Amino acid sequence: MKPVQPTMSTCETCPAHAQLAQMGIDLRKYDRVVALAGNPNTGKSTVFNALTGLKQHTGNWPGKTVTRAEGGFAWGGIRYKLVDLPGTYSLLSASQDEEIARNFLLFGQPDCTIVVVDATALERNLNLVLQVLEITDKAVVCVNLMDEARRKGLEVDVRSLSRDLGVPAVPTVARTGEGLGDLIRAVTEVINGEVRTSPRRPPAPPEVRDAVEELLQLADGLELSLPSARWVAYRLLEGDHRVRQALLSGELAQLVTAQAAPSRRASRKIALEGAQ
Amino acid sequence: MENGWIWFLLAVGALLTGSLWVRLRPLARWHRWRALRERALFEDALKHLLTFEHSSRDATVESLAGSLRLSQKRLLRLIARMEAAGLLHSHGAALHLSSEGKQWALRVVRAHRLWERYLADEAGVPLGELHHAAERAEHRLTPEELDALDAHLGHPLRDPHGDPIPTATGAVTPLEALPLTDWPLDQPAQILHVEDEPEVIFKEIVAEDLRPGTRVWVLERRPEYLIISDGQVEHRLTPVVAANIHVAKAIEGPSQPAELVRLADLVEGEEAEVAALDPDCRGFSRRRLLDLGLTPGARVRVELSPAFGDPRAVRVRGSLIALRREQAAQVWVRGGSRSDGKSQHAGASQS
Amino acid sequence: MSDRVHTLTPQDVLVRADALQRKLGGRFRDKIVESLYDEAERIARRAVHTRTDRHWDLDQRIDRLVTSPIFGMPLMLFILAVIFWVTIAGANYPSELLATGLFWFEARAVELFNAWGIPWWITGFLWHGVYRGLAWVVSVMLPPMAIFFPMFTILEDLGYLPRVAFNLDWLFKKAGAHGKQALTMAMGFGCNAAGVIATRTIDSPRERLIAILTNNFVPCNGRFPTLIMLATIFVAAAFPPALASLAAAGAVVAVVLLGALFTLLVSWGLSRTILKGEASAFTLELPPYRRPSVMRILYTSLIDRTLFVLWRAIIVAIPAGAVIWILANISVGGASLAQHTADFLNPLGVAIGLDGVILLAYVIAIPANEIVVPTILMMYLGTGMMIELEGFEQIRALLVDQHGWTLLTAVNLMLFSLLHNPCGTTIWTIWKETRSRKWTLVGALMPLGIGFLVTFLTATAVRAFGWI
Repeated sequence: MKPVQPTMSTCETCPAHAQLAQMGIDLRKYDRVVALAGNPNTGKSTVFNALTGLKQHTGNWPGKTVTRAEGGFAWGGIRYKLVDLPGTYSLLSASQDEEIARNFLLFGQPDCTIVVVDATALERNLNLVLQVLEITDKAVVCVNLMDEARRKGLEVDVRSLSRDLGVPAVPTVARTGEGLGDLIRAVTEVINGEVRTSPRRPPAPPEVRDAVEELLQLADGLELSLPSARWVAYRLLEGDHRVRQALLSGELAQLVTAQAAPSRRASRKIALEGAQ
Repeated sequence: MENGWIWFLLAVGALLTGSLWVRLRPLARWHRWRALRERALFEDALKHLLTFEHSSRDATVESLAGSLRLSQKRLLRLIARMEAAGLLHSHGAALHLSSEGKQWALRVVRAHRLWERYLADEAGVPLGELHHAAERAEHRLTPEELDALDAHLGHPLRDPHGDPIPTATGAVTPLEALPLTDWPLDQPAQILHVEDEPEVIFKEIVAEDLRPGTRVWVLERRPEYLIISDGQVEHRLTPVVAANIHVAKAIEGPSQPAELVRLADLVEGEEAEVAALDPDCRGFSRRRLLDLGLTPGARVRVELSPAFGDPRAVRVRGSLIALRREQAAQVWVRGGSRSDGKSQHAGASQS
Repeated sequence: MSDRVHTLTPQDVLVRADALQRKLGGRFRDKIVESLYDEAERIARRAVHTRTDRHWDLDQRIDRLVTSPIFGMPLMLFILAVIFWVTIAGANYPSELLATGLFWFEARAVELFNAWGIPWWITGFLWHGVYRGLAWVVSVMLPPMAIFFPMFTILEDLGYLPRVAFNLDWLFKKAGAHGKQALTMAMGFGCNAAGVIATRTIDSPRERLIAILTNNFVPCNGRFPTLIMLATIFVAAAFPPALASLAAAGAVVAVVLLGALFTLLVSWGLSRTILKGEASAFTLELPPYRRPSVMRILYTSLIDRTLFVLWRAIIVAIPAGAVIWILANISVGGASLAQHTADFLNPLGVAIGLDGVILLAYVIAIPANEIVVPTILMMYLGTGMMIELEGFEQIRALLVDQHGWTLLTAVNLMLFSLLHNPCGTTIWTIWKETRSRKWTLVGALMPLGIGFLVTFLTATAVRAFGWI
């Protein structure tokens, strides 16, 4: 598949679209792009299959989805493209699958990200959720495997979770389809801005706070006011090769323009026609 | 039928040669190989001069010939070319690096040591194999690649042998350490540096599993040998070997064996709290353990420890994770429910 | 550039970031992850209330049994044997039924064509070439796959496979490889190309390469029909009927184990020669057991796998059938092209206990291994008598009585089927994953070389001892 290279004229109106096109996402038939992230073994593929009606192969073992799978679904007259990212424990290790996932979240700029978490191992799964929330404002947490949690005698208070994370949290049992309607509703609400998200971003640890602050100010000087600015600072302080490159090549600056673009929805429409 | 075989093989041979010629472009390859070889020669010569400069000796044509294993004629040609390039001056028999030459030499050293660090941390290449791999890679890395590598590794100060890594500007933090032969008895020390040349001695050190970061105590010193302890095992070293191990005062750290035990030493059913990851656990393996939630304060419980406990499965933050003995040994925990376990591990530090 | 005011460039930010990074030392990341987990712990503690944890005990009890040093391995072998036994015992009858039906249809179609006066070569090309290839593939492959895959999928969905990786890890560690290689091998049972892609979960490049290069030692489902057919015809026939299918299953299990042995040996060899290094960090999550959902198993195994594999085989079988028919029916100097080629390859084939036709079949089957047996049969038929084969007895008669197959041929064909070059798709995948001609070449030729060596040694030994 040849990625659509945006020409200069379309790029001005549709930067977000251009980003996605560069990730190799074919947008011709879709209005919205939703990413699906999550730890391995949380039933992420099951959610994907349930939403798209596709039958991507699932199995109960870690690291089964190693490539990015794509599918689509329609809801309320709007066509969504769902991108299933590889299951990862974190976005920091720079292993191949993690890189695919985080590059998509950062550079692909999906309209919304669903983070699937395992209700029976919330603590570990929230680690990834917090990392995703560092990168993007637009996220919905899908608390999957609720049936298993119930069987194990765990009560998950989704309201408290949602309040603490600052983004909607929806309980689901993807295998039976329970809660998936609510999930999509939450996704649309986040995309349309009907639900305002204020993602929980824990303060930087005291030992590193000064360094992060300094870098953030420098980034401000470059007018890099991304929602993920702090995450970018973290990455730079860790010497992340890809993010360094993106900073040098101006790719990060492009993301800022993308997010500042007025009425993304309209520009997306123009972009869709323009790109063909 | 006999002829058929010969023709068949000939045809296949011709086809292969033809396609390989087109595909691989041997001529271009050869040119590239020659350029690389030339660069490697230059750089090896520079490194040699730098080594001599550090030990305050004068490098000579003879010493260079011995190091590079070149014929007299080719060596003289090489020196002339390097002099013309402003990389070295000759004063009589002695050869000295120019400041440019020194910068270049430091860059090569930086490439060598960074690459060793990378191989050790990220690819898990054993200490004994690093040097040879880095000897090849040091000539291929571009400055940009080096900077990216440096940042990725978190600007490490030392290579896996403990040698300082020069910065991009050529600054070197000198090593403040004593050879093990000069270290006082019964004082806890930490190995900072292990000399990787000559190889025979280095191999012996590697075989004893003494590496930078290991805490040791000198228990006994005699003219013929030294006995040292790493808290678990006693090693008997000849002075020649011990002189190639450099140590400094041990830093009090989480690897203090007194209060802590390794996750690998817990038995099935035991529960404990993670205290720290071993400083020796670096790079990818450290990141992975952290990502799985083995951060200080996390509760761990050994659930499956079949056969010899390798691998073992540990419940941490609600999921069951299988670890090999090596990984489990890099996690220090406290408060294992076993009562006799602690004293067994505490003994070594008070000798 | 002499700007009036110094503007900040990305380069400046990077330089500053480097300086800060240096100042922070190497533990920046530890701190970040710690703070994230602290936060996660806080949030989780507020949101989750535990009532009991009885269920974990059950999981743990199962795990104790499944990973026990005494029962773990035998249980694994037992499960493997049962799967093959059910497959072999169950596939026999439907296979014959399908073959009868499909060849009956061929005969009627040929009659019809003849009645319409269509030239013989069109009839031959379409029905004896293309259709017959297709019929073989469907009748030989469909039933075993339709039985094998659902059972394998159940294992996958249960969460048993990570336990297998856990049990086998010590072996892989000894071989200098990664425990997750066992998972990629399990994927390889389905398809080696999928197995090669699955190696992405192995983070160490060295160990990943080992897993890629050795994945082909796991017989994929394209090769199972060959193994199952040979086991049924040759091994099972040597036993009384009551034990026949058990013996056949045992033979297939033996081949799989041999493949695992080669995987370990070659991994060991690689990590001591061209891919030197020590085993790297190994972490593997053992997920809780989950009840498989029947619908998904049926869907995954039947549509996703069985039909997918069958379709691939059919796509390759149609042109291959055509090629074979042409080879068999164009004569040069009194013998067909197929005859010429097979004669030409024969010395080599005989040296390794096979024959020229089998080797030619392997050459034709490079795009997909599924068609090896159909190709062999069609070539024997095309160059010999035109008979209709309706089941394993006739196949046996054709191979043994007319073409001189012995137990050695069968054993060596099973060995060669395990140890030969990967199929075209897998080779292509290896290239895509490694982006290296060298490793692709090694991945393609090393198994082939080993295959030639092993079969040659077997054949030589058997002949030297005069067993055959």
